Amino acid sequence: MLVYAARRILGMVVVLFAMSAVVFAAIHLLPGSVAHMVLGEYATADAVAALELKLGLRDPILVQYWRWLSGVLHGEFGQALSIDQPVARLIGGALERSAALGGMSLLLVAIMGIALGIHSAVHRGSLSDRVLTMMQYTLIAIPEFFWCTVAIIVFAVWLGWLPATGYTPLADAGLLQWLRHLILPVICLSLGLTAHVSRMVRSSMLEAIESRYVLAARAKGVPERLVLLRHALPNAMLPAITVLAIDAGILIGGIVVAETVFSFPGLGSLLMYAIQNHDIPLLQAGMLVVTAVYSLATLVADLASAMLNPRIRLGAAH
Amino acid sequence: MTTLSRRDLVAGAGAAALLGPMPTRAQGANIARIAMAGSIRTLDPTMTSSADEYIYDVLVFNGLVRIKEDMTIAPDLAESWSWDSSLKSCTFKLKPGVKFHNGREMTSADVVATFRRIVDPATGAIARNTFEMIEAIEASDPLTVTFTLKYPYAGFVDILGDRQAKIVPADAIETMATQPIGTGPFRFRSHTPGDRIVLVRHDDYFEKGLPKLAGVELRMMPEMSSRLNALKAGDIDIVWELNPEDIKVLRENPSLRVESVTSASWDTAVMNNTIAPFNDVRVRKAFHLAVDKRDVIDLTLFGEGAPVHSPIAPSSAAFATDLPIAKSDPAAARKLLREAGYPNGVKVPLVIPVGRATRERLGVTLQQLARPGGFDIEIQRVPAARYLAEVSGKAPLYVDGYLARPTLDTATYSFLHSTGVFNNLLWHYNNPEVDKTLEAARRAIDPVQQREHYVQLQRLLYDNPPGFFAYAVNFGCAYRSALKGVTAHPMRWFDLRNASFA
Repeated sequence: MLVYAARRILGMVVVLFAMSAVVFAAIHLLPGSVAHMVLGEYATADAVAALELKLGLRDPILVQYWRWLSGVLHGEFGQALSIDQPVARLIGGALERSAALGGMSLLLVAIMGIALGIHSAVHRGSLSDRVLTMMQYTLIAIPEFFWCTVAIIVFAVWLGWLPATGYTPLADAGLLQWLRHLILPVICLSLGLTAHVSRMVRSSMLEAIESRYVLAARAKGVPERLVLLRHALPNAMLPAITVLAIDAGILIGGIVVAETVFSFPGLGSLLMYAIQNHDIPLLQAGMLVVTAVYSLATLVADLASAMLNPRIRLGAAH
Repeated sequence: MTTLSRRDLVAGAGAAALLGPMPTRAQGANIARIAMAGSIRTLDPTMTSSADEYIYDVLVFNGLVRIKEDMTIAPDLAESWSWDSSLKSCTFKLKPGVKFHNGREMTSADVVATFRRIVDPATGAIARNTFEMIEAIEASDPLTVTFTLKYPYAGFVDILGDRQAKIVPADAIETMATQPIGTGPFRFRSHTPGDRIVLVRHDDYFEKGLPKLAGVELRMMPEMSSRLNALKAGDIDIVWELNPEDIKVLRENPSLRVESVTSASWDTAVMNNTIAPFNDVRVRKAFHLAVDKRDVIDLTLFGEGAPVHSPIAPSSAAFATDLPIAKSDPAAARKLLREAGYPNGVKVPLVIPVGRATRERLGVTLQQLARPGGFDIEIQRVPAARYLAEVSGKAPLYVDGYLARPTLDTATYSFLHSTGVFNNLLWHYNNPEVDKTLEAARRAIDPVQQREHYVQLQRLLYDNPPGFFAYAVNFGCAYRSALKGVTAHPMRWFDLRNASFA
């Protein structure tokens, strides 16, 4: 298991390294001059040249990349260009807010997805299973921004129950206000993914229910509830964990959409701001964090799968 | 019979607590929340350059004078001013006892430092072009400042009301970008990039009893639908720069107040006068014959605008009312094109900025309306961020737009004079008669004489257009009805000194 974990972590580092190079190159291909964005359109050529020298923008791209990478390896993300604040502080604050949004969504997806999946599998072919199936396909097919818009119109504009946009820090406004701002985006983010997870849990649960070991357990006279919980569920959970990890990745994309629609000041909004303002240090750090979060989610899923299923880690060790 | 379990009761109580009524205005702070599409790039007023940033400028800072909603000039930090007989020296008396947000009293040294910084090329301030006539700035006592000009310039006091001409403290200039200090009705508290800027009441504001609000929040919301939903839900009090297509629908909402006022902001199809086919005035005129400006306004702005001949809007006293707004005449347009050596019409790309809906619509409208007149236009969509580097002053034909300027001179000179900064970013227009008229207008003291020069300018542009001035676009704003004491300013900013919640 340790060997397997070490290999996976090493793989993640390689992926992060490669992604940092790709992100760096892609950002430097963005049109427009960084110095012009910082100084404004009317800056003199001298002022632009001086700033480009100061920021090292005239060095070869590989030199710039190495300088940035070695800074990052030392935990030094530098100052944002558009606003004189440390990148780490800006990213930290935004990440905290996005993590609340993403974490609560993922929790909801896991609980609802697994519960609904088991229910559908156990009651296969029943009315509730068929209704759920229909709803799930609808939820998977329609993108987040649609649900976000519908939720805002219904719950904020028509009913006035919840705020349409924004965020209140937990420390300022208390738990209730904080939650009020999170409810709609969390639900909208979770809808499609819950449907996805529950479909996967349903099919793997069905496979487990119909397997020989479950048949054997039933034949031994194990009560049905225990058959499902002790024998079928652990095996059915394996694909569910993988799917949840993939969904955690998809969730990052959804968060950007939801943060834009709900004007929620998280990492997605900060990345949009960085792109708008051509703030390269901010954009690079933000992209790196997104990649790291995604890689970490996959790593956790792989390690969890390996712990649950020895065949994975043993197969990998050969 | 259905019974409620204890679990149901607890869940129900929790939901009711969360979904209970929204906090009302009376419970909350007396804060006006403005939604804006863009982000604020700098907090230093001298360096601001976007319409969103100008809203912030006006709330946190003061100029020597201010431009009122009727576009007339009123004293702001200046108490009075006087000209010498040559119109080359203007002396301002400052109001005594005006305090910066840090408690220090504002003096003439701050005014001198502010303007010396604006005109210093090394600063790279956008307003340097506006104030290029300043020869020297001197303070003779703590409340007296004299500007010496390179040439007589009658509109000098008016341009001091412009957006970036805001007085900043001489001893805090270096930190303005992060810790802005002004004399304005609201002082800066915090900036969360991509989210909001929080401003609070300046308790020592020099106009007694003002402002009435406890603070202002500038919320950055890139999506118009988010801004409108937030307004309808009561999260936001002001949405400015409404899309023309939303104005009619919002007017039907009883909880909102909607304004759509004529502004001097204009959109244009820029033609490059130095490259074919638009280096020939006959082609530029043919385009005007091909396209009906009223149709353009109906199709692009849903009627929320007015036709123009130049950057001078119909709301201005100098607008040339006697010049006709041409109806389209495709046959005449094709005839002119034949005379210019284009018997089969012209085929030309038209660059439009991605994501600026009105300007995209203008491009498509022009493409369709100009076709019968012999213009085969191919639309090219380019991100607005690439305009300065790749499109402005370079593409043969592109759509762009400009904000209202505080005076007729600033609205026209740099756009149309052969040496004008904007002219060289746009059409490279060179018309000696226009140059002479602009120079005469900027020196004219008599308003009647000045108006005649600007009417003459519009006549010259009618006969020899540099490009296609499409329209002056209306400035649309929507407010929560509870917010009183604020009206849409044609300069696209908000004077919230008298704003309050009913």
